[in-house]
Amino acid sequence: MSEALGRVVATERKPNTPHEFHFWTAIDSPVGIGTIVRVDGAQPIDGQIPHIYGIIVEGFSYTDLQSPMHDVLGHDGLPTSAGFAATERAEIRLYTAAVLRQIPEEPLQPVPMGQVFLAEEEDVQVALRMDSYLKEGAATGIPVGVYRAGGTDAVIYLDADFLLGPEAAHLNITGVSGLATKTSAVEWLLSSLFTHFPEEKGSIAAVCFNVKGPDLCYLDKPGRIEDTDKTLYEKLGVDPKPFESVQYFAPYTAKGLSLNTFRNNEALLDNVVPLTWGLREVLQFAEVLLNKDDVDAKADALIDFITQNVIDKEFSDPLLSKKHRVQSFADLEAWFRDVLQGMEKKDGESWRTHHVATIRKVRNRLSNISTRCAGLVTDSGAVSDLPFGSFADRTVYVVDVANLEEDAQDLIFARIVSKLREHLERRDLGVKHLVVFVDELNKYAPGDGADTYVRKMLLDIAERGRYLGLVLFSAQQFRSQVHRRVVGNSGTALFGRMDPDELSTPGYTVLSPATKTKLATLEKGQLMIRHPHFTQPIFVRFPRPSVMQGREGAERYPQAGEIGLDVAVLRSLRPLDPGITLPWVQDLIALYTEDEIIRARNATLLARPENVKAYFTAQFRKVIPAQPAARPMATTIKSAPENDPYGF
Amino acid sequence: MLVSNSGPDAASRAALRLLVDKLPGLNLIEGGGSSEPPIASDPPVLRSAQIVEGAALRAIKVAGVTRATTSGFGAFLDGTQKVQVIAHSLGLPVVIGTISAAVRVRVNKRLVTWGHQPPRVERAIYLPLRYLTQLSGDAIAAIVAAQWRIIDTSTADRNGEYPSQHPAVLLDRAVRAVDQQREELEDRLAQAWCAIGESPLFIDGGISRTPDVAASTCAVGVIKSHRTLYVEGESLKVVMGLQKGERSSVFRVSPRSRSSVLSWYLRQRSAEGRDALWGLVRVEVAECDRPGERADEISRWVLAETSPLALPDGRWDKMSYGIRDCEEFLRAIS
Repeated sequence: MSEALGRVVATERKPNTPHEFHFWTAIDSPVGIGTIVRVDGAQPIDGQIPHIYGIIVEGFSYTDLQSPMHDVLGHDGLPTSAGFAATERAEIRLYTAAVLRQIPEEPLQPVPMGQVFLAEEEDVQVALRMDSYLKEGAATGIPVGVYRAGGTDAVIYLDADFLLGPEAAHLNITGVSGLATKTSAVEWLLSSLFTHFPEEKGSIAAVCFNVKGPDLCYLDKPGRIEDTDKTLYEKLGVDPKPFESVQYFAPYTAKGLSLNTFRNNEALLDNVVPLTWGLREVLQFAEVLLNKDDVDAKADALIDFITQNVIDKEFSDPLLSKKHRVQSFADLEAWFRDVLQGMEKKDGESWRTHHVATIRKVRNRLSNISTRCAGLVTDSGAVSDLPFGSFADRTVYVVDVANLEEDAQDLIFARIVSKLREHLERRDLGVKHLVVFVDELNKYAPGDGADTYVRKMLLDIAERGRYLGLVLFSAQQFRSQVHRRVVGNSGTALFGRMDPDELSTPGYTVLSPATKTKLATLEKGQLMIRHPHFTQPIFVRFPRPSVMQGREGAERYPQAGEIGLDVAVLRSLRPLDPGITLPWVQDLIALYTEDEIIRARNATLLARPENVKAYFTAQFRKVIPAQPAARPMATTIKSAPENDPYGF
Repeated sequence: MLVSNSGPDAASRAALRLLVDKLPGLNLIEGGGSSEPPIASDPPVLRSAQIVEGAALRAIKVAGVTRATTSGFGAFLDGTQKVQVIAHSLGLPVVIGTISAAVRVRVNKRLVTWGHQPPRVERAIYLPLRYLTQLSGDAIAAIVAAQWRIIDTSTADRNGEYPSQHPAVLLDRAVRAVDQQREELEDRLAQAWCAIGESPLFIDGGISRTPDVAASTCAVGVIKSHRTLYVEGESLKVVMGLQKGERSSVFRVSPRSRSSVLSWYLRQRSAEGRDALWGLVRVEVAECDRPGERADEISRWVLAETSPLALPDGRWDKMSYGIRDCEEFLRAIS
């Protein structure tokens, strides 16, 4: 057992309580804010010596000096002469610790006087109640980092039952931007989760929405790991290697030639899948894109009518000039045009109870979607989507929406989350547990502002997701400005370096001033953790993620610039068939329009056929090459009769 | 030396319970204080001394004093005493005296307790046994058996005369006895230090009580109280007129029942606007060959010990921080 490093003290003015105690240490004692200590009581309670575990939350230092003026007088007002004093004043290091756990837990009494010891690894496990889920048969511990103090290195585990459900769930990360702490922490935690999540609890996957920058774009590429990180990885029982299975999804740019992602370098395209939706997929979530004030009950009724009676159905009406089968935005536009022309001919103001003004408004708003979400929404109706129903265990699915307009981001988020939820409810997603990572909650789930569809969805996941296995890992810069029910439902909270202004908000009043100071100055790679088993926040260190960082990835794999249609087709198809060459593509597409070429490419990418060349070629209509026109033969002029009086 | 009077502590309460049990008719005093001033003091006197540095006493600027002057003291010795009149039996005072002493050694500018001799705390019950007739021999034996030392305050003096039963006289006897016990405790520690002779020891008070200490080059006594001033006439004017950083010539102090030592006055702080004794201490060292040089050296050390200030102690003008540390330490453990 180690030597005692302090003694518990209590005075009438500063008494100990069941939740807090004070102790002093030697001046050079290796303790500080966040250090976990153990107190061994002197008197047994019910025959058992009490052990109290606490974490230092405040520290005081003072001397026997009664007034600062005495020091000034003592050195004739010259600070430089203070160094010549023969004796240093008697000085104290007095610490306040918050109780983590008392053993025995009953009767709960004020902390007794006793010696204070630095907590060793076993003590840390007991103090944080990790012993309950690290014991034989439980094994639901997920390493989140290493607690370090005074020579003690103790792995801190989160309880999988409280991180992914069903007991509690969700994780929220707060921290200032620019330090990459939030993204790094999630990348690390996913690695740990994939490594340590118990097999018997089923499969697990993650869907990450990359909402800004390239940070999540190189999860399958190895990053630079230093020796100190390797030591941490070893201690934490995780291999320092990138994710083995990652799939990227990104819509096309507005022109439709290349994918709208940081990861569109040709060398990285093998696991990047286009994300494109047609009318059917979008109309289910029209609410996301349509302005609530704009779309009233009447417009809503018409949209419902279209969804139920028009889309994907054979639709005919005496008013219309022909039968319609609407499968794309182009079809829908033709349908609207026909309806409105029919009404004009009849000089009618309403059709099937829908007023002409409502029809015009809905037409305008819906037609607009394909423009606003160009690259994601296709006129043609071609769909390329996440593999709902066949999600793979320990796979990360990254949806890159960083370069998209806000509307398109909202639409992607709403639809993907809804689909995930539907599949998890039906238990046919392909995995049992799914982590959804969303950054920038200040934008997507603000505490104030309009009640958006996205915010409603996030609230829904936060409140009900854990019953389905749908777990939200969220991040933001200002926790105080995120909807309270989202952060409040997060069983686990991580804090990186914090902004002092944020720390002054009411949500942080439970933290001591010293803890706040530590939070405001945390180094990169350090976190403060709150977890249902921990009665007080704990500081840990986590290793640098073993994946390529965004900045390095962007330098090594520069984003592709604007390219021609032929090169775009080549880049898209070559991952499917490396034998495809640029001249072959150029020869094939020379006779076709841009729309036709893009449609053919998208169909090929979606089908991923065995014979890519044949399939791609088959998508084009037959065009008979033009033949040079033959010169017509001149007919012989008949000679005039000999007796013709007008002949020459 | 720290003197304090306060209510009974846990040890005193235990003694009180024992006495109540053994001494019928004992009247407990609320709060355990004393109705009389516990400190007996001699009247202020002027006394002549033999000058050993020059022909007449004069003021000498201590040479070589700068801010960077270092002190040669390696440790500090002080003692404390606490006198509690906890009860009386028909006016006869029952006193508990607590005495303590410690040497605090300076290590890397910080003071720690000397390892060779742990700090000492002793308690005793001071009773006028001659007049406490109801206290049987068995009762005294029982008190002693409970690890309490009994000191009789009613013994005959060197002239064979017994003190009267006047409560103030008996209390004065008790206080003097406690004082004497405390001095003996300090002397034992000082002797132990000087026997090892690690480094110069700063002693709060005189060094002449014990021959070993009085003759040791390791012991330096610094006296803050001036009930007896070893100067008369013009010499008194010189001493009262000492400026900050000045000392008097060295003189010899030869008390009748004590050892002879060299001594001088030293003004640690400017007395301007204060009383004449402000910042004035008297230093005692063992006899030596070059008293002037020794006085300069020791004076530099004593002046170096004026920082940091011993505030908030009321005697901070004369007290060194090391002695205050001793007293605070003893207050904590006794």
